[in-house]
Parts: sequence; C-alpha cells; structure tokens
Amino acid sequence: MPEGSLCNKQPIQTDAALKTLLSDTGGRQYYQEMKSLDVDRGLLRDTIEKTCKSRIRTWLSICAHCGMCADSCFFYRINDRDPKQVPAYKIQSTLGEIIRRKGNVDNAFMHMAMETAWAKCTCCNRCGLYCPHGIDMGVMFSYLRGLLYQQGFVPWEMKIGAGMHRVYNAQMDVTDEEFIDTFLWMAEENEEEYPGLTIPIDKVGADILYTVNAREVKHYPEDLAQAAILFHLAGENWTVTSKGWEQTSLAMFAGDWAACKMQVESVYDAMERLKPKRMVGTECGHAHRATVVEGPYWAGRKDGLPPVESIHYVEWLAEALRTGKLKIDPARRIKEPVTLQDSCNYVRNHGLKEITREIIRYIVEPGYFIDMSPNREHNYCCGGGGGFNGIGLYREQRNKALITKRDQIIKTGAKLVLAPCHNCWDAIRDLEETYQIGIRWSFLKPLVLGMVEIPEHLKPKE
Amino acid sequence: MFKKILFATSATNACDHAARVAFDMARRYNAHIDAFHVIGVPTRGFSQVVVDLTTGEQVALDDNYRDLVKEEIRAYYDHQIKPSMDCAIEVAVGEAHREILRLARRTQPDIIVMGGSTGATGAYAARRNITGSTFQQVAKAAHCPVMVINRPAGSFWGGFSNIVFGTDFSESADTAFAFAFDLAKTFDCELLLLHALDITGCQINTLHSQDDIDDQIRKARQQMRFRYISKMRDFKNYEVDVWEGIPFVEIVKYAREKHADLIVMGHHTRKKTGDGEGALGSVAEQVILRANCPVISINRPIPR
Repeated sequence: MPEGSLCNKQPIQTDAALKTLLSDTGGRQYYQEMKSLDVDRGLLRDTIEKTCKSRIRTWLSICAHCGMCADSCFFYRINDRDPKQVPAYKIQSTLGEIIRRKGNVDNAFMHMAMETAWAKCTCCNRCGLYCPHGIDMGVMFSYLRGLLYQQGFVPWEMKIGAGMHRVYNAQMDVTDEEFIDTFLWMAEENEEEYPGLTIPIDKVGADILYTVNAREVKHYPEDLAQAAILFHLAGENWTVTSKGWEQTSLAMFAGDWAACKMQVESVYDAMERLKPKRMVGTECGHAHRATVVEGPYWAGRKDGLPPVESIHYVEWLAEALRTGKLKIDPARRIKEPVTLQDSCNYVRNHGLKEITREIIRYIVEPGYFIDMSPNREHNYCCGGGGGFNGIGLYREQRNKALITKRDQIIKTGAKLVLAPCHNCWDAIRDLEETYQIGIRWSFLKPLVLGMVEIPEHLKPKE
Repeated sequence: MFKKILFATSATNACDHAARVAFDMARRYNAHIDAFHVIGVPTRGFSQVVVDLTTGEQVALDDNYRDLVKEEIRAYYDHQIKPSMDCAIEVAVGEAHREILRLARRTQPDIIVMGGSTGATGAYAARRNITGSTFQQVAKAAHCPVMVINRPAGSFWGGFSNIVFGTDFSESADTAFAFAFDLAKTFDCELLLLHALDITGCQINTLHSQDDIDDQIRKARQQMRFRYISKMRDFKNYEVDVWEGIPFVEIVKYAREKHADLIVMGHHTRKKTGDGEGALGSVAEQVILRANCPVISINRPIPR
C-alpha cells in the first residue's frame, strides 16, 4: 500500500483531518499503515540534492569515528554503553546511509531511522560540544527528521503537533479568540488583588511584545496571569498580539519545515505590525530556539535575527530584578535546598547560562542553591527534549532517558527544582511520577510572584 | 434564584453528599443542572495521555473514553437524575479548579455545588495538591456563590428552612448577607444571623475581662442592627446572636444547635489560600470543612 489514509506524505491541512488523526487513539491505525508506506526514493534523492548542503556533507565525511561523542550522549550512558547509541554511529547509520545510497532505502530502513531520530536523540546538541571537529549531530538529526517527515515516517503525535501549527498557528487547538479571551479572563480574575491590571492587546510601539506557549492558554492560564502581573508590577509598557502569539514550534520537532516557516512568520508578522521595542518569550526552551535562534533562517532573514530584538523570559526577569523594577522581599526568598535545570535550547545553544544564576542570587537565600553536575552548557538534557516527551510509541525509552536527570537531581539533595522551560518542567514532573524521588518543580514566575514586593501605589485599597 | 446549577463532581463517594443536595435543588427549583467532571490532568506535554484523577491510571484520551466516562457518571447518579430533570453531563481535561472556573465563566450558573474533597487517590493526586484545594481555588475566584458539602449534610432534609449567616462585618460579609437575605425571602426561611466574637487572643497574652467581652458583644449587636436588620424591613423571621469563642467553632456549633440546613458566609478573595499544602486559612474554609450542612461562600456581589 503506497499511502495510508492516516499515515501518508501529506501534511495535515484542515481541522477535519486533524480530528480524524486524533481520533485514532494512540496512533494504532496510523502505525499499522506505516508498515506498508512506500518510500518515494526519487523525492528523497531530489530533496537531498537540493537541501543537503556542504556543512552536513562535510560533517559526515570528516567524522573520524573517534568515539569522543559517545560519553557525551546520555542515551549511550544509560543504555549500558551500547555502541549503537554512539551519536556518530546513530547519524552515520541513518542520514549518512541515506546520502550514501542516494535515497535508495526501504520501509524497514525508514522505521529504523525514525526510531533513531526521535527515540535516540533529543537534539540537545551536547555531542557537538565534545566533538573535536565540532560536528553537531543534533543539527543533523533535525535535518534527518525533515527527510523522514516528508516521507511520512514521523511519530503520530509529531504529525498532529505539526498539523496543529498548520491549522491553528499554535501547537494546540487554541484559536486566536480563545487566546485573547483567556488572557482577559486572567486579568478579570486578578484585578481585585492587583488593581489596574490590564492586558494591553495589539498595542503599537510597546516596549515589550509578550509571546507564549499554547499550553499555557489551554491548561495553565495561571502562567499568563503571573506574566501579566509581573509586567504590571514592574511597570512595563507591554502588549500581546491577537495574531501570531504562539512562540513554540512542534513543527520543528516534527521536521515539518514548511510549517516551521509558516509558524515563525506569524510571530514576525506580529512584530512588524506592532513594532515593539523587544519581544519577550515565555519560560520555554524550544520556543526560544524556534523563534529567536533558528526562526530567522527559516523565514529567510538575511541578518539571521528576528525583526525586533527578542529575549528569553529569564533575560527579562534578570533585568527587572537587576534594575529594581521588581524587588524581592528578602524574607520570602527560597530557604530550602534548590537546584536548577539548564535548558539545552537557551543555555547550551544560546549562551544564557549565567542569566539564570543571576536570578538565583536574587531569589534564593545564599547557601541554599546547589548546582547539578555537570551544569551550564555541559548539562544533560532533561530526558524529554526534542518532542520525546510527547511520543507514546517511545514512552519506555523516554522513561529510561529520564534516569540521567533523576540521578543528577538526587545527587544535589535538592527538593525543589527550578525548571524555566516547559519541556524540562514536563520531563521533571514525569520523572517524579515515574521514579518518585520526592521533589517539587516550578517555573520561575509563580515563585517570584510569591516573593516580590508590591509597590505601594499598586496595592489594593482596603 | 437557582435556575442553573453547576455541580462539579469527582463522581466518587466523596461527592455523594454534594450530589444529594445538588440534585435535590435541581428537582425542587426546576433548575438546569450540569454535572461536570474533570477527567484528569494532561501529562506528557502535548501528548494525548491523561492521568485519570479517579483511578490514578494513565489513559489515552479520545472521544470513546470521554463517552465512557460520561456514561459512568450517568449510571452513578442514575437514581438521582429524574426523567423530567434538565440535566447535562459534561467532562473536561485539565486542572480541576481551572476547568470548573472555565465552564462557570461560559455558562454563568447561579450556583456552583461541589464536594469538599475530590476523593482523588494515589501519590500523584496528593503531590499535585488536588485533594481539598480545588474548592479553595474555586471559592476564591468564582463569580457566583459556591456551595460546598464536605460532610454528611446531617440536618439537610431537602430544601432550605434555617439559614445561618455568619458575619465578621467585612465587605464580603455584606455581600453574603445580601444573598442570604434574598434566599430567606425567596424560600421563606428563618434567617439566623451570627457574629462570632474572636477571643482567641486571650490564649496568647491578655485575658479579656468579662466586662470587656460583654461590651464587645453589645457593640456587635449594634453593628448587626445597623448593617443588617435595618435592611430587612418587614421581614420578621430572623434571630440575631453574638457568640464569643473561636469563630469557626462557634459558627459550626451554632449551626448544629439551630438545626441549620445552610450556612452562608463571605469569602475574602484577597486572602491567600494556604501555601498549596492543603492548609486552610480563612474562617469560611474551616467552616466548610467542619459543618454538617451545606455551606455557601460568596466572594463578590451577585449581579441580579
């Protein structure tokens, strides 16, 4: 069977198609159909010719098979140092092989490649840091995912996620109206406690344009409320956009290049339209990577930058605390052993390693912060990055992958883990659920809100 | 007064007492009732896996599962849902308090009825502080009165006849009074107004002299007349009392002695509720936990 009704090479374009795919619980029929999905070898060959440029080809050919990357990969370490988990092997046996064979691969090969691309690599890019040649397997795996997506060999949830972006311009089925309505609702709910709290919508020329993760709208609107309250208390001139508010990109995890471009352009359009001085994104790692780091290239921006200066939430928060826009009540600082999860996507891959530690100096009582080992750019992936968290098919592998982080946390002795990244937050929650090591985990917003001093003129009148 | 009831339920025996009251009200007042259940909290990021709060199991969420849960709820309340009753069963996925508030914002019920504890089981539910905290968060933010039935409603035989209104003379208590008075007039009830004078200070240092206490009681009675009795015009079916002690204990004792079938109190929205560890702060919350009749808490004026 060349193409299945659910598993095929066509991206999801309509809400109806999305619902049909969603109704296939756990992707049962989808994966069944995948077993007989044909590989379009001509398309694969042509795509490689057009898109596989000198960087990847050079990387693949200069790899000395030295094995220095092996120990850098947490999959390798937790899987009894299985040689098949060495990053160089993983990429050479999949992408390397496809290129060497000029796309002449079969269904079984593509299944193997899919499992390698989504269950043996989270695109955390740690191996790239340790390779003597600077070969970045994470980047190549992202590329491989694109080839696999195009051929229809993509995990069910990833296909749905990319489809959500195509249909809703968001990673979940949240409409623009629902986004605005939810934000207004949060203002309503908090305006008594914080008089004057408003949600400025589509304000042109604001200092800050705030972008979010659709999950906050769908399940944790408190996060929106906390963001709004902290901007309010800091006296910021901020706004949200009624269109192009979603900063994340499951399309990036899925390898749906066209949807990546479409998604990030919706955010850039909002920037062009509202002309804010800066964009601040929520506490999410991959959203930052998608919109700030990689997005400009997807959108074909020559300078490699978003239309306006774009920063991560931790950068804004550190600045607000540094400049005194937000003041912490020293009596309410964290006074228990606490550690920090460094998100790969904005720490290792975007250099924000000291910013989060600066925040810690403001919000944690001296002596209570314990760093994980290793940390900063050497930190390990939470275990659920790159879409791994969401894929039911690879749940077992994912749970095993959480062990590295679990042991890192246990060694710190901390009972509270700061996780200023949605993906890390999820993975750490799941590792607690799976291994029950007795920890709590939190974004920064709720903690800061609990300890910030409210300026006299913003207090409710009794 | 009660034309639309939102009954938020875990569909377990933890909500049985609440169910008895909610369905009784729907039948008695010919109201539409939404029996609303939050299936569970989504996990695994954007995946379709949900931890069912009732069973603690991970389930793959789809329409079938939703329908199954709805069927189960209907079966569970089968003996209470009368054929003539205008009843809908709704389910959702998410954090329980958030989804209850979301639905309430959409449907604008006249009252939210809930059990005191969701009866969620397992370490997962405990860690996520679901148990008991849902009603705190709903009571804090809801735009309509919230009725909680935490313990067997011992003196509730159906309908309302004796309403206790507990006041601390705050703004939210005034709001609660307006509602309690309306209720008493509409359903022809006796309205029992109580102020519980807080003398817990004596345990710490100063022992109040009895003269001092008597004086405060006199003042409280004046307040009651000024704030409430003056507004009741020709409504005569009421009693006014001031009891001294620990406020929540006095309110619960008073309600028991008067065979109250309902307590109405204000809920201070600005007061932070606990620290997420299930600690209950306000007097209203303590009363909710302890009273053996339904308790309505109100945090803001009810638009008429």
